[in-house]
Amino acid sequence: MRISTLLARNLAWYWRTNLAVLLGVATAAAVLGGALLVGDAVRASLRDLVLARLGNTDYVIARNGFFREDLAASFPSATPIVSIDGMVVHQTSGRRALSVQIYGVDPRFGPAPEGQQILLTAALAAELGAKPGDALLVRVEKPSAIPLESLHGRKEDVGKTIRLTLGTATPREFSLNPQQGDVRAAFVPLTLLEKQLGEIGKVNTILVAGGPLPDPRGAVTLEDLGIKIRTLPSSLSLETDSTLIPDALAERATVTANSLGLTTEPVLTYLANGIRANGREIPYSVVTALGTEDGITLNQWAAHDLNAKPGDTVTLDYYVWKSDGRLHTDSAQFPLARIVPTASDQTYAPEYPGISESNSLHDWDPPFPIDLHRVRPADEQYWKQYRTTPKAFIALARGQQLWGTRFGKLTSIRISPPLPSFAPALRAALDPAQMGLAVIPVKARSLAASQGATDFGEYFVYFSFFLMVSALLLTGLFFKLGIEQRMREIGVLRALGFSISKIRTVFLLEGAALSIAGAMLGLAGALAYGEVMVIGLRTWWIGAVGTRLISLHPSIASLATGALAGIATGLATIAWTLRKLEPVTPRGLLAGEQKRHSVKRPLLVGIVAALLAFILLGAALARVLDQAAAFFGAGTLLLIAALCLQSAALNRRSSAFIGGLISLALRNAAYRPGRSILCIAQIACATFLIVSVDAFRQTGDSAGTGGYRLMAESNLPLIHDPNSPAGRDALNIPPLEGVQFVPFRLRPGDDVSCLNLYQPRNPRILAPPAAFLNSAHFAFQDSVPHTANPWLSLDAPLPGGAVPAIADANSITYVLHLKLGEDFTLNQTRFRIVAALQDSLFQSELLISEKNFLRLFPDVEGYRFFLLDVPLQRTQQVTGTLEEALSDYGFDIQSTEARLAGFHKVENTYLSTFRSLGALGLVLGTVGLAAILLRNVLERRRELALLRAVGYRPSHLAAIVLAENMLLLLLGLATGTGCALLAIAPAVSSRGGQFPVASLSLLLAAVLATGIGASQAATRAALRSPLLAALRSE
Amino acid sequence: MLDVSQIAKTYPTPRGPLAILSGVSFNLRRGDAAAIMGPSGAGKSTLLYILGGLEQPTSGTISLDGRNPFALSDKDLAAFRNQSIGFIFQDHCLLPQCSVLENALVPTLVSNDNTGALDRARDLLAQVGLSDRLDHRPAELSGGEKQRVALARALINKPLLLLCDEPTGNLDQASADVVASLLLELHQRQETILIVVTHSAELAARFPLRYELRNANLHSAGA
Repeated sequence: MRISTLLARNLAWYWRTNLAVLLGVATAAAVLGGALLVGDAVRASLRDLVLARLGNTDYVIARNGFFREDLAASFPSATPIVSIDGMVVHQTSGRRALSVQIYGVDPRFGPAPEGQQILLTAALAAELGAKPGDALLVRVEKPSAIPLESLHGRKEDVGKTIRLTLGTATPREFSLNPQQGDVRAAFVPLTLLEKQLGEIGKVNTILVAGGPLPDPRGAVTLEDLGIKIRTLPSSLSLETDSTLIPDALAERATVTANSLGLTTEPVLTYLANGIRANGREIPYSVVTALGTEDGITLNQWAAHDLNAKPGDTVTLDYYVWKSDGRLHTDSAQFPLARIVPTASDQTYAPEYPGISESNSLHDWDPPFPIDLHRVRPADEQYWKQYRTTPKAFIALARGQQLWGTRFGKLTSIRISPPLPSFAPALRAALDPAQMGLAVIPVKARSLAASQGATDFGEYFVYFSFFLMVSALLLTGLFFKLGIEQRMREIGVLRALGFSISKIRTVFLLEGAALSIAGAMLGLAGALAYGEVMVIGLRTWWIGAVGTRLISLHPSIASLATGALAGIATGLATIAWTLRKLEPVTPRGLLAGEQKRHSVKRPLLVGIVAALLAFILLGAALARVLDQAAAFFGAGTLLLIAALCLQSAALNRRSSAFIGGLISLALRNAAYRPGRSILCIAQIACATFLIVSVDAFRQTGDSAGTGGYRLMAESNLPLIHDPNSPAGRDALNIPPLEGVQFVPFRLRPGDDVSCLNLYQPRNPRILAPPAAFLNSAHFAFQDSVPHTANPWLSLDAPLPGGAVPAIADANSITYVLHLKLGEDFTLNQTRFRIVAALQDSLFQSELLISEKNFLRLFPDVEGYRFFLLDVPLQRTQQVTGTLEEALSDYGFDIQSTEARLAGFHKVENTYLSTFRSLGALGLVLGTVGLAAILLRNVLERRRELALLRAVGYRPSHLAAIVLAENMLLLLLGLATGTGCALLAIAPAVSSRGGQFPVASLSLLLAAVLATGIGASQAATRAALRSPLLAALRSE
Repeated sequence: MLDVSQIAKTYPTPRGPLAILSGVSFNLRRGDAAAIMGPSGAGKSTLLYILGGLEQPTSGTISLDGRNPFALSDKDLAAFRNQSIGFIFQDHCLLPQCSVLENALVPTLVSNDNTGALDRARDLLAQVGLSDRLDHRPAELSGGEKQRVALARALINKPLLLLCDEPTGNLDQASADVVASLLLELHQRQETILIVVTHSAELAARFPLRYELRNANLHSAGA
């Protein structure tokens, strides 16, 4: 006979109790392993989506502008495409799909449309209700090298509409941006798109498959970067397609020229509406700023026309496009310094479409208003003879002061002598990335993003935490029952010479065997639990993930972790139960005696735990401690305190007179205090969870809309100010009484809200207008430093040059994983979170000041995001009017409450998940309660039989049993509810004190009903057995 | 030699300490067999459990072959019980999940030296007439048979002191006679110190030494 033999006998003999213990461990292991599998499922599914949608594309070479299609030939396995945002409209039904990715492709990409065909991904086709042969209109932003927000940028009709026919093939799901939702993409023939956009032979994207990170420096030309070098008689003229030279290019060109021993002369040429002097005026004249000479120099022609002589005051009138979306007319005055001969030199002025190629001033088609009545025959004569030869010259610095823009402060740089080696030298010196030609490791970046902003494994571990606790409590409960059942056996073993440590070892070995077996069973359970959770995420809880494309991807690591954790926690629970073995003497064990535990220890532990809990709560209320930490910490301590205090109360030898059935029931509950406390703990934990989760549910009464009823986004940028009559006129918007637009600049990027499962690598950025910062709308959770109006922090310079940014508190914490005051880097720019909005509609983006936005992203033009201040009764009418008037811009309006509801839906879905799993924990707790009740009653069959023998009716016995059970249930409910209410107090207070009393009461009533049901079931089962027969048996 | 000197045992109650034993003293040598009688609640079982090291006396000392069990550590006390004391309970206290042979061997699982344990168990079970029931479970045995297994278990480690608490209390007359005979026979063979607590005058009459526990004191009732 060996100890192993005894173990095997024990495990087999007490199989009922052991099975319950095994199932408890299996449940805990299954839940933990399953929760981890959910995390694996989400990560792996996101990764699968990335790989499927990118295909064999590893890198992307892209520019905010177009370059030679032939550049692709310089890289192995490269495919040139055009990739732009746009919208698609079903011509017949009028249904619109906005924010669609439009790809211009040819057979090098794969199966491609031909002729006038368009192919749509399945989701987009379904959205439009389009069938093969249907006519579709694709509208995209017309590429413009010249910035829209400059004088010469064409602001009207910024889009291009192309009519195409839907083909029969369904293209592959291709997307360069990681997204969990359906791919909404349209594929059009590359050459057709190039032609329609006026970019024949040019693309803006190259897809590269495999190999190392491509280096375009050897292949890219100056033309690809939008740079032109004109050879003039005695110099070179460096210019750009945009007509403006960015500061970085100007600096690099100057350094390169100087390194070759060349001299440079920077030039800024502008169009003045008029040159005035001595009561005379010359309309629409080119003026060039160069050199350092003060005052103004007129050519002979102009001086004669104005009858001006040196010393006279000359006034220049000119248009300036300002960031408020309007064309302003400004003036500047200069003393006439000199008069120079009129020499024909058109090379100072860049090529202005609509102007430079015109034969006469009357043929001009400029992107700004001109009054042709002002044009005189003499002006036409000058144009005929001299075209864009400047009529006046001012100092460069003065010109830059008047006409410099964020896009550049020069229109050309003259380099002399005209050395042929300058162009290649400049090309070698330029970093294509600085000129906007970026090489992006799109696959690596997307795969990194697929790790997810939200660790669903971690979340489901939290969600399932109380379910695991319930399972472990049940494990401990049944193991404890098993020990109690074998107390006499333990006494015999003690009498036979087994030391207490030996007995503990035997039980621990039994527990280990049960834990291991339970954990193994839990492996299968983990797969099942994980699958059910994943199905849940695809169906009932789809609000949390926004996609049905999640599937289980079991991993050995997660299963092993679940199993090991199940073994560890099961064994720990069993070991904890075994601590109580010693205090009863062997004689007492043989007699079935129960040791009365000290009252002092649980009382002390309870008081200390309560004090610590209140300290944490105080710290949370004083905002010294994070609320989530306070909730979990204080909640756990409060539960421990309550249970310890109740344990002390139950352990106290009660000599109170038993005056009736109820007091008899109370005495019974106190007879086995350990069991009673375990029951109370199970009910309390589940109740705590359900009550506290419900309190965090968003009810939609948030102030996060800032008082604005509507918000809008447009596919194409609005350049004009829709609040001004001129802007509304330019945008073709009818007068809208009482409607105010707040336009925001938008740099598209990754959604930083809980709606995006992928880790945002390149956040979406909004910039409100300066006036908005002063209006103090929206509530803030906190700011660094504390200030009455945190919006103003956006304009305050920070030490070290970090750019201040504001984001929603939810995004900061749960998606970006940052803290207030923390820095992060984006495209080599350091940003700092200076304030956190509270549950706002800005959860998808970061906000920076418009000034910083224009400095950091000069190429992003116009406004694409709007808040609309609209009277309540007119929201529907305004929505319809604006969406129709601005349909060419893809203007899409949404109510701000609907936007917030979208975010709340995710949060509430998480809470629903938490609550569902908590409810499962409650079910387990109820099972435990029912098991205990039944066990208690069965153990006391002789006692109950005796009561019957002395005249108690069955209804009396039922009342005693029910009263005992109700005590445990009500104590559990009260404990869980009370602790939850205290624990959530700081969080509820910071959210404005909302508390869903009605739904909570309903919930607790349901819990109570469940418990009563379990009690009645146990009572019925007990009373059904022949009690009187028990009197006769041993 | 078993030396019991001034053993007292009191239990605290809300109404003050309750004296179960007071000044109990006696000596027994190897080979002695004593029966202790007394009315129900007199403290017979309490005295037995104190002698067996299962319960601590309030005062007094016990010495078995010069060793005071209550001066030992818990671990040494367990080993002392395992090697020096055999216990038989009124309701046998067999492990229901183990066979007859396994029940007899249970004490050897924690012995330092198990050599020959299996042979000893078979031999003892043969002596108590259960050699053909070795694989049977307790549920398949009669009351008397169970008590015979308990007897074999108690003697497996050749203890010096054999303590029996109402060994025939739950048995019919025939079974009781068999058990009592076996008890005395095996006691003689192994030369243990045998102490039996009983309220059966018939059983007590078979013992050379008889004591009566009355008013917390042990009185000789004849030899």
